[in-house]
Amino acid sequence: MDKRYIDEILSKYNEPSGKLLGILEDIQEKEKYLSKEALKYVSEKIGVSFSQIYSIATFYSFFNLQPVGEHIISVCMGTACHVRGAVEILKNVEYLLGVGVDESTEDGKFFLTTEDKHFSVNTARCFGCCSMAPVIRIDDKIYGYVKIKDLPKILKEYGWDKK
Amino acid sequence: MSDKVNVYINSKRYQAIKGEPLLNVARRNRVDIPALCYEESLKPYGACRLCLVDVKEGAKKGLTTSCTLACSEGLSVATNTDEIKRHRKVLFELYLSQAPNSEKIKDMAARYGVFSTRFELKHQENDKLNSKCVLCGLCVRTCNEIMGAGVINFIGRGHNTKINTPYFESSDVCLGCRACLEVCPTKAITIEDRSNIRIMASWSYTEVELKKCTVCGKYYAPEKLDAKVGSLFYYRDKDAKLKNMCPECRKKYAAKKHTLIMEGEAEKYAK
Repeated sequence: MDKRYIDEILSKYNEPSGKLLGILEDIQEKEKYLSKEALKYVSEKIGVSFSQIYSIATFYSFFNLQPVGEHIISVCMGTACHVRGAVEILKNVEYLLGVGVDESTEDGKFFLTTEDKHFSVNTARCFGCCSMAPVIRIDDKIYGYVKIKDLPKILKEYGWDKK
Repeated sequence: MSDKVNVYINSKRYQAIKGEPLLNVARRNRVDIPALCYEESLKPYGACRLCLVDVKEGAKKGLTTSCTLACSEGLSVATNTDEIKRHRKVLFELYLSQAPNSEKIKDMAARYGVFSTRFELKHQENDKLNSKCVLCGLCVRTCNEIMGAGVINFIGRGHNTKINTPYFESSDVCLGCRACLEVCPTKAITIEDRSNIRIMASWSYTEVELKKCTVCGKYYAPEKLDAKVGSLFYYRDKDAKLKNMCPECRKKYAAKKHTLIMEGEAEKYAK
């Protein structure tokens, strides 16, 4: 693994404490997820135990501990979206992408990635646009008033094609 | 010297050191306050909430945990009001549901008059802590603060929180000291010794090698633990033989040596 980029990130943080979250955030921004090697390396470099770093990484739902696909699809499961059929939307997204519902990982995080590593699906709590419910987010773009029959069209924008 | 202050527990006066946790004073004077997550040698944590007291005077009034309540002159608390009893009952009910297999919790709850729980029992399959863990964090804090090993920590959050090694893989930093097991209030942790290997079954089956006593041949301490803290014990006389002996043989050896010295001295004095 190339550790130079981690060294670069570490060199930006000079304060003796309160820098771990920033470092993890920067690594995730670069790699899209936190690999075991990266966490171990950070632990050695800043002298915080590996178990502590893993604990923090599993505490925040923001951090991904598994490699993710090129495009990240977040299906909102907030109250408004939920009553307007978010569960059905999620099921359909999973069906279209061919990923299973029960594939959550041992650390309890819900994250599904297609075999070709093109898409990842997770759930989110609220994007703050409940009036547009149900809402899904792909990468940084928000789609509101999503209907199940629209899903293939939306996914096609990101290079999905029915196999 | 540290300042002495007077504190009042249930209107009775006790002497305390300024700033020490009130729970310390209560324990020293056999005042009954239940607690799961408190240990004098660790930093107060306030996780289990069982040590609730009602502050009457001397600090912010109302319920607070006595393990995080610093003693000051004139501090006055009550430990057994109806409000506390009510809160304690709910807490015990929650603990009974969190750790349904733990006899310790059942006994403790029974002592405070709680025999059943309204909440669903949390039986987990394949739980390495035998459905006995209450997540008080004593093992985690002992491993980090006292042993400095940092083998285990909380994983995840909310009702999915677990305590284990990172990635649920066997650890290469564990010393095998068993401090986690000693400190656990519900005896949830499993550690076995199999001839020359100690297996931390609860911590992803981490294995450490044990050291053999050169005199009696008994396996007595983990190699790694001995390498880390053993050096503190090799005594003033720096006798290298002591290094590879179990505590019993070490005592015998030291006593024998001491007697020999005494006899030698006796002979010298006789001359």
